[in-house]
Amino acid sequence: MDDPASQRVRTAVCAKLCTITLDDPSRRNALGSGLLEQLERAIAQADSLARHDEIVVLLLRATGRVFCSGFDLEECVQNEQTLAQFVRRLSALTRAIRAMPAVVVAQVQGAALAGGCAIVAACDIVCASEQATFGYPVHRIGLSPAVSLPTLMATVGCGSARTLALSSDVVDAKRAQALGLVHTLACDADALEIAATALARAIAVKSPVALRATKLWLNELDGTHPSGSLGAHADSVTEATAALCTAPESRLLLADFWKRRKATS
Amino acid sequence: MDELVHLSIEQGCATITLRRTDARNALSFELIHALASTIAQVSARITSAPHEVRVVVIAGEGKSFCAGVDLKAVLHDALRMGGMLQQLSMALLALRQLPVPTIARVQGAAIGGGCGLVVVCDFAVTHPEAKLGYPEVDLGVCPAVVAPWLVKKIGAGPARAMLLAGGTMRGDEAFNRGLVTHCVARDQLESTTAELVARLMTGGPHALACTKRMLNELDGSNDARIAREAAELSAKVIAGPEAQAHLSRHFQAISTPPTATR
Repeated sequence: MDDPASQRVRTAVCAKLCTITLDDPSRRNALGSGLLEQLERAIAQADSLARHDEIVVLLLRATGRVFCSGFDLEECVQNEQTLAQFVRRLSALTRAIRAMPAVVVAQVQGAALAGGCAIVAACDIVCASEQATFGYPVHRIGLSPAVSLPTLMATVGCGSARTLALSSDVVDAKRAQALGLVHTLACDADALEIAATALARAIAVKSPVALRATKLWLNELDGTHPSGSLGAHADSVTEATAALCTAPESRLLLADFWKRRKATS
Repeated sequence: MDELVHLSIEQGCATITLRRTDARNALSFELIHALASTIAQVSARITSAPHEVRVVVIAGEGKSFCAGVDLKAVLHDALRMGGMLQQLSMALLALRQLPVPTIARVQGAAIGGGCGLVVVCDFAVTHPEAKLGYPEVDLGVCPAVVAPWLVKKIGAGPARAMLLAGGTMRGDEAFNRGLVTHCVARDQLESTTAELVARLMTGGPHALACTKRMLNELDGSNDARIAREAAELSAKVIAGPEAQAHLSRHFQAISTPPTATR
């Protein structure tokens, strides 16, 4: 049913703008091993292009009604090491997005949950449509959103990050804008496409030197630089979170959750 | 008469007015120097006679509050430019550390470094048609000096989006995004500021000073190292070939057509 070789992430480069599209709508763009691997490769490629001044902006978008539903739990149910691996890979992805010397713009047209929300919170500018939702409903499967916290806290402040991470609440785009997670709001997916593309193109013609210096200086100021909250400390947080994944509590919660999901679908 | 910055102290309110109207109060080397010494003077005055100055208002004479940092004269003089940014960064820090509430009264425009003066103050009053923002990256420049104060004012996430996107916004949008605390009709700018001053005067000076000192400690406002590094970074980017080319083109473009009527 799931062909690992099928293309789930598309990349296009045009006029200093790299567009990465999560393109696995039938699986709600879930972070499974296939999509993760392609996304990692696309991000690494964009990073290299940015370092050679060949791109100035990375636009991260998705097809379908969901931006990204988080980890592919079907894979995680099958193999207990998989979830731990996914946590490590997600942590590395958020760090790569933050450290990339290009401005990363997220175009969020639908739900961005758990790992999907972690990716969004690592981006520099978030454009969303009113249909988008955000949150970390992961405690019910025995997981912690800890790997997203450094960028989430930097983006929305300590108080809101605490609420989002501990409550499992899913918030709509208007609320996310009020919290500071969304910076540009559009009425629907079409308007969002126009607004996000226009913003990305407008930034792409600006000076790469100034933008890079500004982004890295902001990383210093909000602590998300490699010697700050995304550095060595993040490694130990990632390992602690990964260790949770193989604990009996998580295995039980995940198996239960999956059984209920299967029963209702 | 020819002073670039005017200081008046009346009934407990010190008003610092930028007076370089022919250049929309753009922050030149000389203006920054005058501003820094005026802030130091106010600070000394508060220390020696705490009851004489209980609120500080920063204003700009003429149509605009402040058009930003005037890089034209120092563009090819890296040493002087570096010194100027360093002094601006330290002036912002000193303004933040004044132990009384500060208010920016913003008419017309507050751009770049001028908008840095806005967000470093505790309060800012503007009108809907005003133009505010940080178009530094549009000119190949890094807004490093203002970034720490914007981050503290509106939070790191929104500051990131604002500084990387560049451009400017209207006064009403600046109010919605948290850059300013009051947005009123243009003809009410002075009266609203005066009312705010009067209200702040009713507070106990000691309590206000304690509160402000606490807030500055909590949000890391006292970090002189950041202010220094910010100026160094900004100077480094401006001295680079990319910014030099951008700015040269920019100055050429704005000085070519309509200057004959200046």
